[in-house]
Amino acid sequence: MARVGVFVCFCGANIADYVDVPQVVEEVKRIKEVKYAVEYKYMCSDPGQGLIRDAIVQNKLTSIVVAACSPRMHEKTFRKALSDAGMNPYLLEVANIREHSSWVHQKDKKAATEKAMDLCRMAVAKSIANEQLHEISVPVTKRALVIGGGIAGIQAALDIADARIPVVLVEKSPSIGGKMAQLDETFPTLDCAQCILTPKMVDVASHPYIELIPYAEVLELQGFVGNYKVKIKKKASYVNFKTCTGCGACWQKCPVKVPNEYNMGIDKRKAIYTPFPQAVPNKPVIDAEHCTMLTKGKCGICKKVCLPGAIDYEMQDEIIEREVGAVVVATGYDMWDPTPYEEYGVGRFKDIITSLEFERMVSANGPTNGVPQRPSDGKVPKNVVFIKCVGSRDEAKGIEYCSKICCMYTTKHTILLHHKVHDSHAYVFYMDIRAAGKGYEEFVKKAQVDTGTTYLRGRVSKIYKKGDKLMVRGEDAQIGQVVEVEADLVVLATAVSAPKDNPELARLLGISYDKYGYLSEAHPKLRPVETAKAGIFLAGCTQAPKDIPETVSQASACAAKVCGLFAGDTMKKDPMVSTINNEYCSGCQNCVKVCPYGAIVTDEVPIGHGSKELRTVAKINEGVCQGCGSCVAICRSMAINLAGFTDPQIINEIVSI
Amino acid sequence: MKKLTYFPGCSAHGTSEEFDSTLKLVLKTLDVVLEDIPDWNCCGATSAHVMTENLAYALPMRNLVLAEKLENTTMGIACASCYQRMKVTKVHMDENPELAKRINTTVVEEGTYQGKVDVKSMLQYFYEDIGVETIREKVTKSLAGLKVACYYGCLLTRPKNITNFDSPEYPVSMDQICEALGATATEFDYKTECCGASFSISNTEVVLNLSGQILAMAKESGAHAIVVACPLCQSNLDMRQPDIEKQQGIKYDIPVFYITQLMALAFGNPIDQLKFPKHIVPVEGALANIGKVSPVPEKVKKPIKAVEAESEVK
Repeated sequence: MARVGVFVCFCGANIADYVDVPQVVEEVKRIKEVKYAVEYKYMCSDPGQGLIRDAIVQNKLTSIVVAACSPRMHEKTFRKALSDAGMNPYLLEVANIREHSSWVHQKDKKAATEKAMDLCRMAVAKSIANEQLHEISVPVTKRALVIGGGIAGIQAALDIADARIPVVLVEKSPSIGGKMAQLDETFPTLDCAQCILTPKMVDVASHPYIELIPYAEVLELQGFVGNYKVKIKKKASYVNFKTCTGCGACWQKCPVKVPNEYNMGIDKRKAIYTPFPQAVPNKPVIDAEHCTMLTKGKCGICKKVCLPGAIDYEMQDEIIEREVGAVVVATGYDMWDPTPYEEYGVGRFKDIITSLEFERMVSANGPTNGVPQRPSDGKVPKNVVFIKCVGSRDEAKGIEYCSKICCMYTTKHTILLHHKVHDSHAYVFYMDIRAAGKGYEEFVKKAQVDTGTTYLRGRVSKIYKKGDKLMVRGEDAQIGQVVEVEADLVVLATAVSAPKDNPELARLLGISYDKYGYLSEAHPKLRPVETAKAGIFLAGCTQAPKDIPETVSQASACAAKVCGLFAGDTMKKDPMVSTINNEYCSGCQNCVKVCPYGAIVTDEVPIGHGSKELRTVAKINEGVCQGCGSCVAICRSMAINLAGFTDPQIINEIVSI
Repeated sequence: MKKLTYFPGCSAHGTSEEFDSTLKLVLKTLDVVLEDIPDWNCCGATSAHVMTENLAYALPMRNLVLAEKLENTTMGIACASCYQRMKVTKVHMDENPELAKRINTTVVEEGTYQGKVDVKSMLQYFYEDIGVETIREKVTKSLAGLKVACYYGCLLTRPKNITNFDSPEYPVSMDQICEALGATATEFDYKTECCGASFSISNTEVVLNLSGQILAMAKESGAHAIVVACPLCQSNLDMRQPDIEKQQGIKYDIPVFYITQLMALAFGNPIDQLKFPKHIVPVEGALANIGKVSPVPEKVKKPIKAVEAESEVK
């Protein structure tokens, strides 16, 4: 007869405040199969696990129920405790009395306690029918996919490739480099962004273990950890990269001018272009939306001037496939559009620009040769007002969160302004100065002293035009008065927002994202680079706003995770997979249709013993099966069994309540 | 012929009588017949809503319930404060049926609030229900040459989640109507600043200061006149203008029209029906600009010098 041990956790106050734990223990002791039941403050701690180990040995237990938090949190922890006591780890059942009871029924302790008892009874009943299961070994494809070629993707790709693991790096724009390639200097040391980034970009292109696929998008991801298949769309560039030498004759002669994205639209690029002179790969692409040859069939100049004959107007999008074992998502961020700030006159006043536009202006390779200019008249501004938290920390018009980097880059901007225009004066309207980071506070203090910037603590309520100046009205909370500053140029420190394509990408990859569109990590503290889907990792701002040092750290952490995943030749996998009883299978193939993982195929078996006549049955690839149970539910002849969730187990659960 | 339920409010019978009477002229041209709410009462503005919640909601609710007895689905309100109180009440009652039930225990005799009637300011009615194009078609005497600063004040478009009309910071509906009349709307950044409102009586200094800034910015924008759709705004900007001029030592001489006065004028109504003598600041100087179209070209703005991308020819 079964001998079940039940271990009920207080979870500090998380469970015990809302569920009467001792009463739950008393209740489960009434079940005749329960030979041991105990409560403890933190069951997941070492003494808590020790309780389980000792009880297994002393009471000769045959299955274990832990009533605690979600199995997503600690199922693995407790399985290990079972293993350590010499018991098959799959004889464990977790009753989730925290997320499913104490947290959601905080107003009614009696009901929460009753529900916790029900959950325990079900888990005990199920565990009685538990069978010994054994991990499955599956082969691993030791190649990683990195999505996004900004500093996060570059760092992750280089670190993985340096461990001699092949990397496929997919970048949607024509060049890698991302937002960092648009920056002039970087806080808090004022290194030139180009000087520290472009060598890494070159390393990516020349690395023997990195396959760089620029101007491409991920279309589809199938499979599971260690064995993903990815479909990638290589967008038609209309330029054969193999024959193109990057000479530049085409873009010099191209007559079509288009606002230049790299310079935030301050100047123009051509319809055939490389995003910037240091681009990697340094090969142009044709912008199909604006090229008159592609839209109207008129022009063709680039083809005429291209000596190697690399231009091909007939080029089509190409879809390629790669097999990878792990994915690093590093899709970066967007700058928030400040249009909702109508009181600032955004969109009406030309001399209000965003911080990234300012960054391009002061950049040595920028559209104004590194000297800021007023967009309205081209004059060099003397009085510049910087407004922080435009969109950030603004529940009414923007986003609730702090964008984290604006305090620091605005400080940097005051320094750059001071360097470029010596007789200028900067004013910064701020809510708080958040300078938490190595050397950050010192950087801000030094900048304040060196540049003589006027810091005004308060929000700007209005900007209006007076002659050719902008009048910035805001509160100076330190003197308790409204102040007005006459500005030649206003720079808005706009919020960092999630890439707008993130929700679509998340659906495609099968991972989750938060209400802002940032991709969700598996655990905010202890698993910050993993997603809930095994083998998919997050690096950089696609997870939350962060600065370059943090982004690089997270990218390297992803690389370590990928290398760890690929350390063995095979990977262990939970044995909760479906199996098919051929005797019952009628070959209807409904299960093939409902399987979301493509894990079920068909097979031919003899009709009977020794018969030569064949019939069709379903067959499950246990390496691909994720144990979702869809096939079990659809099967009309009850031919499918899901290990760990067998019919007797489920029926036991139902009968117990 | 269209019908519109009308809530005149107290100022239409007093300080803003010219708003009310020119509104009626305009609606005659637009073929709209006004139906007054029978036995309407005070909207409760300024005093009720700072004193008690019940009274603040009950006074407008009585009007809303009475308006439901008429067939029309829209109520037009001339005064911005009345509009605000009525609209706030409507939105809150519609969002919160429990609250509506409670307030309805004060408004007993008139019946149960059903939320059938929509509430609009006259500006909103012109803009949404009549339309700028229809207004343009009715113009017989273009106001070309007249430059106006359209001043909306604080209540016609705010708060956004209550009014759900135009922009709370930089509205353009009145500007578009004025342009349809032939006038030029200036770029006026103070169009939603506060005029000081009812501090006119209790703390006049505040109004002199705030309305003074609005006059200064209107002048700065190059306007000959200010256009409003709120009785209190009109009274502060017009009636207090001599005091402001005395205090600041600047002569503004900028008349303050109701939008309906300009519409009535452009629709060809005789000038003696437009109640211009009721204004404190004389209007003749501003109106003299009509017909004088100055050929000032738009300033040509110099774009930023673009630096051609360096290209390496190998």
